[in-house]
Amino acid sequence: MPDGAWVGRPVPLKEDARLVAGRGRFVDDLGRPRMLQAAMLRSPHAHARIVAIDTREAEALPGVFAVLTGVEAAARSGPIRPLIPTTAVVPDYCLAVDRARYVGEPVAAVAAVDRAIAEDALERIRVEYEPLPAVVDPEAAIRPDAPLLYPELGTNVVWHDTLTYGAVDEAMARADGVLRERFTIQRYASTPLETFGVIADYDPGTDTFEFWTNDQRPGLTISVLAASLGVPQSRVRLSCPDIGGGFGNKRRPAYLLICALLARRSGRPVKWVEDRIENLTALMHACNGIMDVELAYRADGTLLALSVRDIADEGKNLVTPTQHNLIKLGNIANGYRIPAVRYAAWSVLTNKCPSGANRGIGKPFMCFAVERAMALLARRLGQDPVELRLRNYVTAEQMPYTTPPGARYDSGDYPATLRRALERFGYAERRAEQAAARRSDDRPLLGIGIASSVEPAGTNLASYEIVTGRRAASGSAEAAMVRVEPDGQVRVSLGDPPSGQGYETVLAQIVADELGLSPDAVTVSRGFDSTTTPWLYLSGNYSNKFSVTDVGAVVGAAARVRDKLLRIAAHRLEAAIADLELGGGAVAVRGAPDRRLAFAEIARTAYADVLGLPPGEEPGLEARHAHQNPLAQPVDGERRVRSQLVFSNAAHCCLVEIDRRTGLVKILKYLVVHDCGRELNPLIVEGMVHGATAHGIGAALLEEFRYDAQGQLLTSTFVDYLKPTSVDVPIVDVDRLEHPSPVTPLGAKGVGEGGAIPGPAAVANAVEDALAHLGVVVRSLPITPEQIWRWTR
Amino acid sequence: MTTSGVPPSERLTVRLRVNGRPVEHAVQARRSLADFLREDLGLTGTHVGCEHGVCGACTVLVDGRSARSCLLFAAQLDGRAVTTIEGLTPAEALSPLQESFRLCHAMQCGFCTPGMIVTATELLADQPAPSTEAIREAIAGNLCMCTGYVNIVRAIERAVAARSQDARR
Repeated sequence: MPDGAWVGRPVPLKEDARLVAGRGRFVDDLGRPRMLQAAMLRSPHAHARIVAIDTREAEALPGVFAVLTGVEAAARSGPIRPLIPTTAVVPDYCLAVDRARYVGEPVAAVAAVDRAIAEDALERIRVEYEPLPAVVDPEAAIRPDAPLLYPELGTNVVWHDTLTYGAVDEAMARADGVLRERFTIQRYASTPLETFGVIADYDPGTDTFEFWTNDQRPGLTISVLAASLGVPQSRVRLSCPDIGGGFGNKRRPAYLLICALLARRSGRPVKWVEDRIENLTALMHACNGIMDVELAYRADGTLLALSVRDIADEGKNLVTPTQHNLIKLGNIANGYRIPAVRYAAWSVLTNKCPSGANRGIGKPFMCFAVERAMALLARRLGQDPVELRLRNYVTAEQMPYTTPPGARYDSGDYPATLRRALERFGYAERRAEQAAARRSDDRPLLGIGIASSVEPAGTNLASYEIVTGRRAASGSAEAAMVRVEPDGQVRVSLGDPPSGQGYETVLAQIVADELGLSPDAVTVSRGFDSTTTPWLYLSGNYSNKFSVTDVGAVVGAAARVRDKLLRIAAHRLEAAIADLELGGGAVAVRGAPDRRLAFAEIARTAYADVLGLPPGEEPGLEARHAHQNPLAQPVDGERRVRSQLVFSNAAHCCLVEIDRRTGLVKILKYLVVHDCGRELNPLIVEGMVHGATAHGIGAALLEEFRYDAQGQLLTSTFVDYLKPTSVDVPIVDVDRLEHPSPVTPLGAKGVGEGGAIPGPAAVANAVEDALAHLGVVVRSLPITPEQIWRWTR
Repeated sequence: MTTSGVPPSERLTVRLRVNGRPVEHAVQARRSLADFLREDLGLTGTHVGCEHGVCGACTVLVDGRSARSCLLFAAQLDGRAVTTIEGLTPAEALSPLQESFRLCHAMQCGFCTPGMIVTATELLADQPAPSTEAIREAIAGNLCMCTGYVNIVRAIERAVAARSQDARR
């Protein structure tokens, strides 16, 4: 293919060539000489005092090199600093010290010559527990008489506040009606197929810790590790190899600390790779929650106000509480013009697995509540749900549009997105099919579900000021480096280690366009290495931020390199920069192709023949750039903030068939029309939409971390915690609109989370549509065959 | 060889073929085939995703049939022939099935991919022209958390189409 305009092409992925041959390098594929393997002993109780731990027998087992308890961890490391600003400030160590607060919380760890022996040693550790009453239900946890996870806090409520934007009470009073409904969401997680893992090594000679891990957010993790280990950040080195999926789940500095302490004690590198039961029990769940929604409307369906009471069940999450709440607040309007909004938030600790980032953080539930409410309102008003949405969408002419809590929709045409979806879905024909099926008692029940959403990208940590009243971190930024090597080939590195998003390809496309060469001449460094990758505290693979910050960082670094190439070439060719052009991996005088310098020749000047440089030009041919998205701003005087920055949007249409006898829901057709601005590589974009939509379908129909009243997790394997398989997920049909963002460097917007946001609502709306004649209202997920059977029997 | 009654840490000698090459190794009775391949033979292309036989990431061929290497003990493989992703990958370039996966972007993080390729290899060996439904059924025992399976199904369909075109030539 000729050079130029690589961005926008569906270029097959460079990384796929190695992954398809099993040649990825994942953390469990790595090793170190003399390396030990770790295993962790975990609490069988949801809540218990740890009276005593006896590790003598474990330590005596041949092959065991180190055993660590919570008391020792607390003596040898500092508390874990929260990953975000928080109000719940209590010491939280990498192992439970005197109290275990959820089933699966690590209470001791062993390093041994292999994993089997480490696990043998765990069986020889005697822990005396004194079980305590567990609090499992978040509403119960709020009550004054609830058992407390942290008696010193005096409450399980990490945050409660009521934020009002606009005249909500007046709107409710003058409305023709108010729809009131309670929705709940279950705990679920994206469960990347590669589990969490780390190798930690300690070099006593230099007092340096080294980590190889699939942690998704290295910038922040390094600072947490250094603070707990009591070493300067300059003596923590962290590298990420290929990461086998993340979706927000892969962040747990505690595990890195445990291995670091074992490594320091044993004098050996220590590897630990989470097993699947540990992953499902103890890594990270999306918050379960309860939302009470009040939606005020005029008789014609115009929305007047939305009031939400939202309880987020954080489990034992002291490192990122309130995250789900704040992101729900930012997404509360879901693309609609709602003039007045009230949001009452509770962020509540319970004796369950820590909550944390999971594809879409809070947005799937927010969208579920709003889109379920819209479906119910349409039914109440006797309107088609399409008409109701079209009446209330923010329109293209109203862009940029700021919602009452401060989210700023930058671009897009939401009505056009839905219209395109209906057309492609064959909405009228599907409705006719459904009517025909309803006339017959023995035909399966058919239901049509529509849901739409906005999909914000990028983050702004200043939003936590709403919770804490003070600002710790803020904004949104990423750092990158572009270097023309001495041989003229190009290398790129980025502070965001990908976990399946194809950065090695899409960054090569971007740099190829900026420098006028083929992506084949551009190598993007795999993963992350804190000693060579440019990075910031904000660096990492999270918050759908690639288009918002990462692209700008790479474009900026490439532009600096391009300018330098031009300056050196102008000097060598004795030409004006304005007369030069880049192409084919060379700089040439426009119109005089024989006056041309290949990058290798310019690089030779820059690195070797430095007397040939223009006067004052610094040797070398590389540049770093950090891009800060200007939309991130502090919280304003009315407590409005852009917690996320750039907005994609989508409409999902779903046709389901329900088997009257078995209650099984089968998705016959699933269509997504989305708009993520300029698509940098449509092959990657479409894959993201497929995958995220499958996550939405899983949450709607299958996945649930179900706890009993004592806080025991009942779904801790893939036999009980059901993931969607190839026969559960239909062939998702994807179409797109492309309204470039005016506020990102190449016009791209986020696409990683989109499908997961309206997916649960679309499926739920379809199921309810199929069962509406029975008076069914879908208020919770997942919609299991058992649930359908209860509704229909 | 029987392994019943053997203490878990006792070492047993197994002789088998792995990717066509003879292997003789003393393994602990409790060593899973997955760990044996990865840790003892350095064949890290076989991935471990759940260790309880559901996710399919560790799928290999044993005497040509797909099997979950996390659910087999290495000691059970005495006298057998095991093929891993490394054995299905030509020394130069990629197999037609792998090439189809690459062109269709039938992966994102790539962790499930070796197991998918192994399962799809068995399917294509059994059925010359499987339908879309047969493809979806065949890979239903392999979880992918990234792709929603859409591009994986497309890639296998593409490989089938390419093969039948070749056959017509």
